[in-house]
Amino acid sequence: MATTYIAGKQVDPSLEAPDHHVAPMSLYWKVFGGLLFLTALTVGVSYADLGSASLFVAMVVAIVKSTLVVMFFMHLKGDDRTFTFIFLSTLIFVGIFFGLTFADLGTRGAVNPDWGYHTWAEQNGKVIERTPNAHGLHAPEAGTEAGTAPGAEPAAAPGHEAPAAH
Amino acid sequence: MSTTTAHGGDESAHGHDHDHPSFLAHHFDTPAQQESSAKLGMWVFLSTEILMFSGLFLAYGVARWAYPEMVLEAHHHLSIPMGGLNTLVLITSSFTIAVGVRAAQIDNQKLLQQMLLATIFLAGCFMVVKYFEYSSKFEHGLLPGRFYTADYLASAISVPSPLGGPHTFFGIYFLMTGLHGVHVLLGMGVMFWMYLRARKGEFGPRFYTPVENVGLYWHLVDLVWIFLFPLLYLVK
Repeated sequence: MATTYIAGKQVDPSLEAPDHHVAPMSLYWKVFGGLLFLTALTVGVSYADLGSASLFVAMVVAIVKSTLVVMFFMHLKGDDRTFTFIFLSTLIFVGIFFGLTFADLGTRGAVNPDWGYHTWAEQNGKVIERTPNAHGLHAPEAGTEAGTAPGAEPAAAPGHEAPAAH
Repeated sequence: MSTTTAHGGDESAHGHDHDHPSFLAHHFDTPAQQESSAKLGMWVFLSTEILMFSGLFLAYGVARWAYPEMVLEAHHHLSIPMGGLNTLVLITSSFTIAVGVRAAQIDNQKLLQQMLLATIFLAGCFMVVKYFEYSSKFEHGLLPGRFYTADYLASAISVPSPLGGPHTFFGIYFLMTGLHGVHVLLGMGVMFWMYLRARKGEFGPRFYTPVENVGLYWHLVDLVWIFLFPLLYLVK
């Protein structure tokens, strides 16, 4: 007899079908109702002026909604824990991705006060288009516009410290 | 192969056929092992999907971090009613496919087919709403990068930097919702395939892994939208 393992447990190879737990229909309705309620909540809350807390609140609601979907619709609850392990480890890697990126962006200024797009642009002789209706990308070629010399006062991007122009 | 091994050499040639169901591939010993392997593969695939979308979510995060006023201003051009309607449609479709998988578990063939069709229909509704949303953006020139032709949105961004304009927001908007929309279209395709197989009566309590895996994929499409909707349409 060959030895058969499923999820690390030795099983009888003559096992006909996997053991399936069929969740009651009422559970599906409850989860559906919960998702509808949370959607209404997140839309409603967005009209309230929560300021900087709005991102936090929206993400908490989204995380609760996805937990409902993952646990009950995707059957992670009660299913083989290997799948939960794969799912959660993916989230850890997403966390590393976000964490390291923002750690980099948030601290670059501390080690290099000149850091910023404009400094880079000036050093490389690129011209930043600054006519009122331009987005910078309509400029045909660097340096063809009069009045936008590289040495001009650089534009202040919101969220950035404008580097010194001189 | 392994079944032959399992039965050893003392079995006659036809001996391994009667306890080997038609849906069980020869390289698996048991249906449970086959199902477990298929779902393992599906979850690993879903992982790669999450990682792919996380790159776009990060792009959104960086744009928001660097140009908060611009993102705030530009997101007012997205329609909350349309986005909200699509959220309801997707959540309902997630519910219908979950009920469909359950129907396969309890051998309700008719309900399984109905739920697959309902999910395809709802996915179609999502794409129709998306079409109207996209048309309105195209009409107003709210497009990515150099295709952006709308006037500058009335805002504090009087002197935009080359990257800090609303064209960046709409680049991210179209990439995220576009990639998501492609997933919805692919989902409609695979669900129709499942419908054809369900009509032949291929699925039942002993074997419904393909339906379940398509369901898992569809729930992931819903999960992505659960985060896309508040981030793009709602958050201030």
